[in-house]
Amino acid sequence: MMALIRNEWMKTFAKKSSWVYLAAIILAILIGGIFYQKMGPDDNQNWQAESQAELASLNTQLNESSEMDRRWLESRIEQLEYYLEENINPNAKNNWDFMNEVVIGVSALVTLFVVIVCSGNVAAEFSDGTIKQLLIRPHQRWKILLSKYISVVMYSFLLVSVLIAAGYLIGLIMFGSGDFNTKVFEMGIDGQKVSEAGPQFFQKIIFYLPSLLMIMTISFMLSTLFKSQALAVGIGIFVLFFSSTLGGIIVMLADRFAWAKFLIFPHLDLTVYALQDEILGNITLPLSLAILGVYYAAFMIITFGFFEKRDISI
Amino acid sequence: MSNYALEVHSLTKKIGKKTIVDGVSFTIEKGEIFGLLGPNGAGKTTIIRMVVSLINRTAGEVIINGHNLDESFTEAMSEIGAIVENPEFYKYMSGYKNLLHYSNMAIQKIPAERIQQVTELVALEQAINQKVKTYSLGMRQRLGVAQALLHNPSILILDEPTNGLDPQGIREFRDYLRQLTEQGVSVLVSSHLLSEMQLMCDRFAIIEQGKLIHISTMNESIGEQEQAEREVTFETSNAENALALFKEAKFVNEIKAIKGNFITIKMDKESIAKANRLLVENEINVYEISSVKATLEDRFLELTNKEKVGQTL
Repeated sequence: MMALIRNEWMKTFAKKSSWVYLAAIILAILIGGIFYQKMGPDDNQNWQAESQAELASLNTQLNESSEMDRRWLESRIEQLEYYLEENINPNAKNNWDFMNEVVIGVSALVTLFVVIVCSGNVAAEFSDGTIKQLLIRPHQRWKILLSKYISVVMYSFLLVSVLIAAGYLIGLIMFGSGDFNTKVFEMGIDGQKVSEAGPQFFQKIIFYLPSLLMIMTISFMLSTLFKSQALAVGIGIFVLFFSSTLGGIIVMLADRFAWAKFLIFPHLDLTVYALQDEILGNITLPLSLAILGVYYAAFMIITFGFFEKRDISI
Repeated sequence: MSNYALEVHSLTKKIGKKTIVDGVSFTIEKGEIFGLLGPNGAGKTTIIRMVVSLINRTAGEVIINGHNLDESFTEAMSEIGAIVENPEFYKYMSGYKNLLHYSNMAIQKIPAERIQQVTELVALEQAINQKVKTYSLGMRQRLGVAQALLHNPSILILDEPTNGLDPQGIREFRDYLRQLTEQGVSVLVSSHLLSEMQLMCDRFAIIEQGKLIHISTMNESIGEQEQAEREVTFETSNAENALALFKEAKFVNEIKAIKGNFITIKMDKESIAKANRLLVENEINVYEISSVKATLEDRFLELTNKEKVGQTL
């Protein structure tokens, strides 16, 4: 088994694309860093006076504005008051702010690459015809498939590790070392809450991992079901982009039909739990995880069952 | 250990209601080259793919060097080296890495020298560190042979191995196979190129519409036994007189054809010499005596009763 995984690992890194994805993540973080540095408000010293001035102008606006605007204004006032009270410069940026706001955004790119790599993995063996040479070896089919699965999981986690490590280093160089517990405001559906940048970042990453594993597994399943690499990758990316759209539709459906809550799409993105405790009215994190677990088992059974039975006639 | 390198018992494959392979049985002895012949779509490839477990069997069993494929899959598969149609490789890796990849998949550890050894056997030392995408078809075919031999299999299974090879490549390939059988390796080979199979195989089976319709050794089939009568063509200076002499002679049983100065007669080996002496004694010049060999193609057509089938069917 170890030999099979080593083989898969060797093949992964013999492909140029595997290195390109790693480089692209570092590059994306770098570009993100440059924008983060240039675009934000200046980090000046008289932030207290500015905040006071903004607060005063917001308060006058509050009386004149409509109901819609008022909510936004109130939350902004609350933020400014909090900063003044705690004596935190809201415009100061450090590496943990960067991690929490920018590096997390780059994780979407990680997901995209994971979909491409996973959905290409088995399908490429079919489209290149190498699957024939692979399956005439003295190894059970499920072992060969499992070694491929493990190797794509390892590669995906390598991408995530590179994301975190490169994010930390680039953040450190560009924004300096900041307080791990820097206070930040995060917007959720139930309104804003105060959190700490470092823990918040790691919480988001931890919520991101199960979603990533699910998307990986779905892509891998597609890769096994389709002989064509292009088709597998195409459908994988389609699912990736439409899952959030579908998730939105399902939120509406869930009000009317209880079963819609058990569809996979609203649970694919668990990072919402970093901001709120319940989704779809009454679904909590353990329940979401349980639903994902059931889907995971189903996908694995389909993938391995199909591969075990399949006639290789290419 | 078994006496046979491969035993196939009533192998059957059904897809839906269609029977692709219907109760095919044969055995291959050690050191023998066994050919599967048949027109395209007869089920040769399906048989081979069932033997190497790329395709599931509907019924029947496969025993490789005494190991039943169902009961001891790992042992049985360890005995097989195969090239299924064109050998496909990971083009983005070097030939060496491809071989390393397959050597890692063997159950018995393959020493590093073995890769070197098979590389030399197929004469790829120069190119082994280049990426496979730079290889010509012939080089890929040779690399295919190398990967099939890497783990010292007791049987080589080759599906249409000479597809896309040039005549020189085919010739080299045939020589490899001969070398291997001398070391006791058996070969199962399928092809629709009859002339090629005639040169390569010791024994063959003809598959038609999923059924095994004939099995025999190559010599039996094309009539090369010592005592058997054969057709012989004489080219003489005077066909008319020669014909008259032959008609009187006792040892001439049957005159098959006359074409200009060529006379074709059916006779046994001794009679050829007698016929020659007869002509010379009667002052008829003999320019050429040649035996008309029945080709596998003739035999094949006879067996499958097919009219107007081209050389490659």
